[in-house]
This record gives sequence, structure tokens and C-alpha cells, in this order.
Amino acid sequence: MNESRNTCGQACALTVLAPIREGRESALTHRLNTLQPGPASPLANVTGTHFARWVVIGDVVYEGTSQRRPDHLKAGRLLFTSNFDGPLGQYLEELRAGLGAVADEVWGHCAGYPGSADAGAFAAYMRSHQIESSLFFASYGGRRVAEVERSLATRRQVIDFAVRSQRMAPTELQAAFRETFGG
Amino acid sequence: MANIEGRATAITVITPIKRGGPVVLWLVFWAGRNIKQTLEKLEKLSFIHFARWAVIKRFPDEHGGERLNHPYLLFESNFNGAWEQYIDAFSEVVAFRMRAIWGTSFGFPGPLPVEPFKAYIRHNEFVANHYFSAYPGATTTEIVSAARVEAALEELRGSAGLGADAFRAAYVAFLTKVQGDL
Repeated sequence: MNESRNTCGQACALTVLAPIREGRESALTHRLNTLQPGPASPLANVTGTHFARWVVIGDVVYEGTSQRRPDHLKAGRLLFTSNFDGPLGQYLEELRAGLGAVADEVWGHCAGYPGSADAGAFAAYMRSHQIESSLFFASYGGRRVAEVERSLATRRQVIDFAVRSQRMAPTELQAAFRETFGG
Repeated sequence: MANIEGRATAITVITPIKRGGPVVLWLVFWAGRNIKQTLEKLEKLSFIHFARWAVIKRFPDEHGGERLNHPYLLFESNFNGAWEQYIDAFSEVVAFRMRAIWGTSFGFPGPLPVEPFKAYIRHNEFVANHYFSAYPGATTTEIVSAARVEAALEELRGSAGLGADAFRAAYVAFLTKVQGDL
């Protein structure tokens, strides 16, 4: 695995394809579909995650007669992708610890998954089912999740301040600025 | 639909690669990694947060990986806005690159006209079962703008100790500088 191919700035791409155990696809799908969305998502507890998803790949798609031979997967795959703050080793531990019981509820449906109790075994499983990116693009790969959130909050604060300070005299403006932004 | 989280949309597409395709893709992605213009072109599509392509030669398992009749191309993207607009922009702004990349996959109709291209993407797209964004309310443009506002504000903080009139002038200059980012 060439990790530099999974990197853009400090941002990293993780792509994991794990084989789903026979007969477990619908239970896995149900578990994923019933995870809480938004801020209550278990992925919200995984520090450094910008965007992530789980996708059940039941089988590959056939393109019709233009494709020479059809393909079928022996086992469906669970795809997990994440766009996160590197390095990978640290993130895999964040993933294990942050997801807690959900990691086992999800990947427990996958063949060979060792469980999340053993950090080394969990990380080794993710790495051995990882696919290397050929090209990874990040619009703001230099900025960590916390930095993105902080600057978005600052921008909102600046907008609010610009509105409420419109009619302030210089002295009042300066005092209000210092109170709001320090300096 | 789990492909949408706030203003963010997920796309996951997996397509079978033709014979000879891996060599072409190797070159195209090498160029993408090493020739600045490729990524700059993607930056122009200012609504993409993160995107990746990956060639799947073997689907990982416990026995060295499952090899199918063809390798597969995975495309994963996170963007703000509507699916339709995203595909429209992709097919118009980076048509040449789209052709170079997906031209190696079976069934690819070309990026233009856009309707067959959309049908192709829909046919090969997988819907996420769970999708998460750390900042679902923010667009890519807002994030990049916010970084500029923050940097300019930091400079302005340095002027907070000036006289009130000089500070006001610095503040007006700051607002002028960042007005496009607010």
C-alpha cells in the first residue's frame, strides 16, 4: 500500500472492502440503515472524520452485451470510505475507539473480522482489506476537521459583527471588536 | 435517502474496466497526481469536498482476494448541491478527463450529451446505507472562504491596539478584503 496515493495535503482517503458473511447481507443492511443520522451518527464520535460512508455492495453491475463476460461476486462486500485527518494509524484507532460497539455490530457481519477488542487485530483487518486510491482529491486538504469547524464559526461571527457594527462610532467599534474577537 | 446529509451528497460508482484499461488508467492517474492542472481543474468544480478513484484488481477476502473477469473502477465523491448539477458540471468542465477515465470502462457513453452519461452513472451507482458529514451545513466554497476570513481576521487583530480611527480604517480595509467571502 502506497499511503502517499491516499493523501492530499494532510487529508487521507481510506477505502475498505470487507466480504459479507453468507446470509448476513440483509441483517447488515438493516443495521446500517437504522444507524442514527446527523450529529447522532456513530461516525460523529470518530475524531478526524470529514466525510464517511458505509455501502453494501451486493454484487457488481453488469453492463449488458458491451461487456464481454458478466461478473458475479462470490460474497457481497461492505464498502467503507472515509475522508479523514491523517495519519492512518491514528485514525484506525480513533475509528475503533470512537465507534465502540457499533464497529462490531457492523463489521461483525464480515468474514474474518476479529472484533474491536484487540486494537492491533482491528487495524490489521482494515489494512488487509484496504484498496489503494489511484487519485485522491481534497479541496481543502490542509485543514483538519477542527480547523474547518473553527473557521466556519469565525466566519459566522464576522458576518454577525459586520451587521451589528454598521452604525458604530470608531471607539465603540474598537471596543466591540476587542470584546468579540480579542486582540 | 442516505446519499444526502445536510447539503452534502455522496456518489459511489463501480464500473468494470475493459482489457487494456488498467494501463491507460495508470497513465491518466499518474498524470493526475503529477501534473498540477488536473487537480486545479477539479478545484474549479468548487463544490467537491473530497473525491477519489481507485482500481480494484481483487476484491479483498481471507484468501488473497477475489479476482473477477475484469478489474473494477471505484469512484467516491462528496460534494454540495444536487446530483444533476454535479454530473452536468463534471461532463462539461472536465469532459476530456472523464473520457480518459471512464472511457476505459464498459458501457461508458461519453460525457456528452449528458443524459446518457447520467443514465450510465445511475445504472452503476450504489446508494450509501449510512453517510456522515462533520459539517453538513457547509458548502466547499464556504469552507475555503472561511479559511481566508480567519486569516484576514488574525491580521486585523494585530491592529486592535491602534487608535480608534486607525483601527476603523483597518476594519474597513478588512471588510473590503473579505466581502466576497462573507
